[in-house]
Amino acid sequence: MDKILHISWMRQSLIYLLALGLTFLCVAPLFWMALTSIKPDAEILASPPKLWTNQGSLDAYSRLFAHTNFLEYLQNSIFVAGSATLLCIFVATLAGYGITRFRFWGRETFAATTLFTYMMAPIMIVIPFFILMRGLGLNNTHFGLILGYSAFALPFSLWLLRSFFQSIPLELEEAALIDGATRPQAVRYVIVPMALPGVIATSIFTFIVAWNDYLFARIMISSDKLKTLPVGVQDLMDSAFLDWGMIMAAGVVVTIPALIFFVIVQRFLVTGLGAGGVKG
Amino acid sequence: MSAATNPLETVRTRRIPDRTWGMLLIVPAVLMVACLVLYPVGYAVWLSFHRKHAYLPVETFIGLTNYKNLFVDPQFWQSFWLGTVYGFSTIGLQIVLGVAAALLLAESFKGRSLVRGIALFPYVVPTIVVVLIWRWILNDSYGLLNHILQSIGIVSAPVTWLGPSMILISLILVSTWTFFPFVLITVLARLQTINPELYDAAAVDGASAWQRFYHVTLPQLRTILFVVILLRFIFMFTKFDIVWLLGGGSGGTGRFIRTLPVYTYLKTFGQLQVGAGAALAVIMVLILVSVAVPYFKFFRPAQDI
Repeated sequence: MDKILHISWMRQSLIYLLALGLTFLCVAPLFWMALTSIKPDAEILASPPKLWTNQGSLDAYSRLFAHTNFLEYLQNSIFVAGSATLLCIFVATLAGYGITRFRFWGRETFAATTLFTYMMAPIMIVIPFFILMRGLGLNNTHFGLILGYSAFALPFSLWLLRSFFQSIPLELEEAALIDGATRPQAVRYVIVPMALPGVIATSIFTFIVAWNDYLFARIMISSDKLKTLPVGVQDLMDSAFLDWGMIMAAGVVVTIPALIFFVIVQRFLVTGLGAGGVKG
Repeated sequence: MSAATNPLETVRTRRIPDRTWGMLLIVPAVLMVACLVLYPVGYAVWLSFHRKHAYLPVETFIGLTNYKNLFVDPQFWQSFWLGTVYGFSTIGLQIVLGVAAALLLAESFKGRSLVRGIALFPYVVPTIVVVLIWRWILNDSYGLLNHILQSIGIVSAPVTWLGPSMILISLILVSTWTFFPFVLITVLARLQTINPELYDAAAVDGASAWQRFYHVTLPQLRTILFVVILLRFIFMFTKFDIVWLLGGGSGGTGRFIRTLPVYTYLKTFGQLQVGAGAALAVIMVLILVSVAVPYFKFFRPAQDI
């Protein structure tokens, strides 16, 4: 209480002013994108730029879906990111449970190696990965891309899941085993309900990684009908006619899923990434 | 009750040993990491000693030739210096902005959790969208930024933000905008675990706000800053997509921000010289290691607090 009384009015105002500035810095560019996407064509290139519009319309969005392959890119992205998430989380959950619940040879080495691969930059892996996938005939397929994303997101997912599993007391499981439950039953009725929020949060991170990736998709996919959003949108941006309204509409559609998912897992990001993921 | 009818006993004898279970559960993850991450990394090292076309299977051993060629390649050195300037300046700005924002969000005020969520938006927006937003805002004829700067009189003529002379600065600023929330979130997580009694004690001793920051906060942040700077260094030095996309791909003014990762990409998938590209990737790792090792030696905190 004493501390609160000492905070002066000036100090509080300064804090609000700075908080407002920070919010503006982070939101204004996104707002400008959204505004451009609903402006009529004439207003988009108006000088001076109009900071608001009274004639908002979704024309740019209908052009986007009607005249380009955007819808196909969107479906591809959902399919690839979704499948990669399922595969990655399945593998990471098994391993996360394994390394927190059993002692065995190589456990520590495995955890350390996995974390080390988290440091591997995509640009280093993508060269041999491309050659490898070409050799297997998996270049220019969604399956190759799914494998790449799962493997690439695995270290971080495993790291997050490990900290979630570690926070579930071993005693609960032991109690269930002593009460006569089999290991699968203990997992089904004790671990799964408690680990579910962590698994969901980790899934969302994996999804965002796959959803946002540009490099793997650029290198792996050559046919237009298989492109995911980042690559498809880049090609839209580079195409001869520069329809800023439509490009911004594409930006809005690509951003929305990432942003929604992020809002859901925000609090895990603070505790998981901050306390467990990076400090560990 | 005899041992034979004790349900626990029967379960135990039929159960697979824990050790085996543990190993079985990590098999898929081990396979995945080994085949799709570790093996490719090893393969890249191997490729760097070979001449190989991206689409042809022939691999000819040529020893260190790829490396020798790079060391006399002016484009390599230009990329190296560009990457160094880009990396250090954007990391510096990310740290300053990230720590400042974290200190702000560690204060208590109404709407703090909302601002904290919003402040992370730039980090979550997909890179392609970051690039198209900023290419629009920085557009020299219709861009919002030039209009604002001109109307308040900071510049008299429109700045070509994406032109040869300004694109590096634009890239540094745009990268700072997207990546500072990473610093913000990690530093904030640490700030919230600092024991408030430390501040009370400092206040009792009559320390000013600056003294409290310098003598209480900063030492507590040392460990996390050590890690965050290292991670940012690794991530920024190997950053490809934002650099490539802001530069407009292979054409345009991209060649004025052709950092090592971009050059690696061009060598491999543009000139189709996989061996030379792999050698570049290996050199990047060596540079990272040669910076990280002294960094660990000199700056590693004495103990984990």
